[in-house]
Amino acid sequence: MTEELDVTGQDSDGGSEEVVLTPAELIERLEQAWMNEKFAPELLESKSEIVECVMEQLDHMEENLRRAKKGDLKVSIHRMELERIRYVLSSYLRCRLMKIEKFFPHILEKEKTAQEGELSSLSPEELVFAKQYMANTETYLKNVALKHMPPNLQTVDLLRSVPKPDLDSYVFLRVKERQENILVEPETDEQRDYVIDMEEGSQHLIRYKTIAPLVASGAVQLI
Amino acid sequence: MDAAEVEFLAEKELVTIIPNFSLDKIYLIGGDLGPFTPGLPVDVPLWLAINLKQRQKCRLTPPEWMDVEKLEKIRDHERKEETFTPMPSPCYMELTKLLLNHASDNIPKADEIRTLIKDVWDTRIAKLRVSADSFVRQQEAHAQLDNLTLMEINTSGAFLTQALNQMYKLRTNLQPPESAPSQDF
Repeated sequence: MTEELDVTGQDSDGGSEEVVLTPAELIERLEQAWMNEKFAPELLESKSEIVECVMEQLDHMEENLRRAKKGDLKVSIHRMELERIRYVLSSYLRCRLMKIEKFFPHILEKEKTAQEGELSSLSPEELVFAKQYMANTETYLKNVALKHMPPNLQTVDLLRSVPKPDLDSYVFLRVKERQENILVEPETDEQRDYVIDMEEGSQHLIRYKTIAPLVASGAVQLI
Repeated sequence: MDAAEVEFLAEKELVTIIPNFSLDKIYLIGGDLGPFTPGLPVDVPLWLAINLKQRQKCRLTPPEWMDVEKLEKIRDHERKEETFTPMPSPCYMELTKLLLNHASDNIPKADEIRTLIKDVWDTRIAKLRVSADSFVRQQEAHAQLDNLTLMEINTSGAFLTQALNQMYKLRTNLQPPESAPSQDF
């Protein structure tokens, strides 16, 4: 009884794209999003449609289990699987929240200046959380320290004081779709730029900045 | 990612069990399993196999690469080659650890297998250490590491990436500050 799910892509100017996924593929996508989010130095695009579909599947299964009292073994097997999926989902959301707390002024700034049709990196709930976190931090700093400072020093520019995500960090990745002509920038002045081709299935260690668009498009998987 | 999370991912691998109970097909979110008939082998994910074994509801069969002669060949091949050779399974370490800890009675020559796998692991980690060292020394910007398993990458990966990030920061801040006065006496 494998049901097919409609995972509606984000609404862009051109309308939404629908991709039909089996539940197993959905869980696979969730795990990939989880690993990418864990290893990427910046907050990645919000995969709210995957999160919503997984929540739907979990609720559906919970409902079924609540009704079915018989078959102790079957119920416990289903419950074990539910716990596993719930762990991945919670870990994914926790990882995102941690990054939001770490880089909140830059993330909110990006949201403000985001163009029409650009994919948001925050879900609506995360946006609310980020704004409240910013307000709370500002209030806290004001009440604890700033209001006791001389009047011309009573503001703090959070955009400049909070460190930005380090896009030059090194990451490991596995290639899902063959890529050609990826530019590798030199480390020292004596080296020159060179290009490499990435074969499907190969694994690499490289700086995040060069391959960031490939992570967003799903062509590589961070490991 | 810590080792427990890598093991979590490895627990999705399918292994063969021989159940001693019967159960009709179950429709998990991640796929269909069964039906289970006593005495007939069936493929289930590792997490379920270990759980059933702990409840004494099944017997585990080792994967076909978990055999003393095959592993000896793999170990010798790994020692001879300078680069990393492909491993029989991308989760060989996790599979060995879980299967040998929970089901060593179902696996012939469990102790020898444990030693062989440990030898292979030690050889590969030593190679990884050497290549990481030369990577940092020669200040490379890119490395290709096919045939490395997730557990190996994660064991040394966190330290390696942090070290590389620090080195990069130190290197890119080498430009002398413009306003520094030079002191010529």
